[in-house]
Amino acid sequence: MAPLPTLNLVPSAERIDQSHHWLFPEAYEIFFGGIASLLIFGLLWWKAGPLIKKGMAARTKRVQDELDAAATDRAEAEAEAEEIRRAKGDIGAERTRLFAEADAQAESLLTDGRARLDQEIADLHTKSEADVAAAMGRSGDELRAEIGRFAASAADSMVADGLDDDTQQALIESFIQRVGASA
Amino acid sequence: MSDARIEGYARALFEVARAEGTLDEVEDELFRFARSYEASDELRNALTDEGIPPGKRQAIVEDLLDGKATPSTVQLISMVVGSGRTRDLPAIIDRMVQRAASAKDVELAEVRAAVALTPDQRDRLKAALANATGKDVELKVVIDPSVLGGLVATVGDTVIDGSVRTHLDQLKSRL
Repeated sequence: MAPLPTLNLVPSAERIDQSHHWLFPEAYEIFFGGIASLLIFGLLWWKAGPLIKKGMAARTKRVQDELDAAATDRAEAEAEAEEIRRAKGDIGAERTRLFAEADAQAESLLTDGRARLDQEIADLHTKSEADVAAAMGRSGDELRAEIGRFAASAADSMVADGLDDDTQQALIESFIQRVGASA
Repeated sequence: MSDARIEGYARALFEVARAEGTLDEVEDELFRFARSYEASDELRNALTDEGIPPGKRQAIVEDLLDGKATPSTVQLISMVVGSGRTRDLPAIIDRMVQRAASAKDVELAEVRAAVALTPDQRDRLKAALANATGKDVELKVVIDPSVLGGLVATVGDTVIDGSVRTHLDQLKSRL
């Protein structure tokens, strides 16, 4: 009887040294390696698969949460940016309003100041003219008074010099006659 | 001084002069002394100086009037000065003169003149004033150089001014 072909699952020492190809493994290595790999993959699928799926789901959720948070942050940032832009716009408008108000006040002050100055100049003109007129009047009055004083003094002197005894007697007689005639 | 006190002194002077029978003369002398007192600052200061004793002031009056006025007039003025009423002397004398005029039922006419009037002028002026006022008047003439010329007569509340001074003042006002 012919010897049964042997399945060489266990390589003999001499076969190891005698590989049929310098690169590819032997058939039995592929066979056992495949079975072992299937076992390992099956074990991994059975035991580690749920964990991996759970981990992936958690990761997906975390990533989604991060995306949501990022979206929220972005929305908030955009809102804030909008607020800042609006505030900036308000500041610009306020600045424009303040400038306009300041210009209006300055114009008003300028107008009032000009009007007041014009009025003061007019008053000063009027007062000066009145002062000049008063000074002229005073000078005239003083001149007239001075002439009056000189004339009165001259009259005193002339009358005193002219009142001799005859004149005195004539004045007394005239008075007596006038009083006597007034009855 | 109160009117009552002035009136009291005036009545005393009047009664003494009337009792002495020299009313007209004393009244006239007192009147002229009062006008001199008013016109002379020196006399007024001497008789009202509180630093001079009353006796010495009376001596001044007596020396001043010695031989120029009747003894009654000198004594009456001296009495007023001695009693410390010298400042009221003109008012007392004026009241006494008015009282005398009232007693004689005549109106007092005070006439201011720059020069003295002759007796004839006095008589004619007295008659003219009596004619003008319708009353008997007693003339009291005061020599007042400030009148300059003419006369100023005052009878009661009536003043008749014919003085050169007044005419000159009016002229000055117009000037």
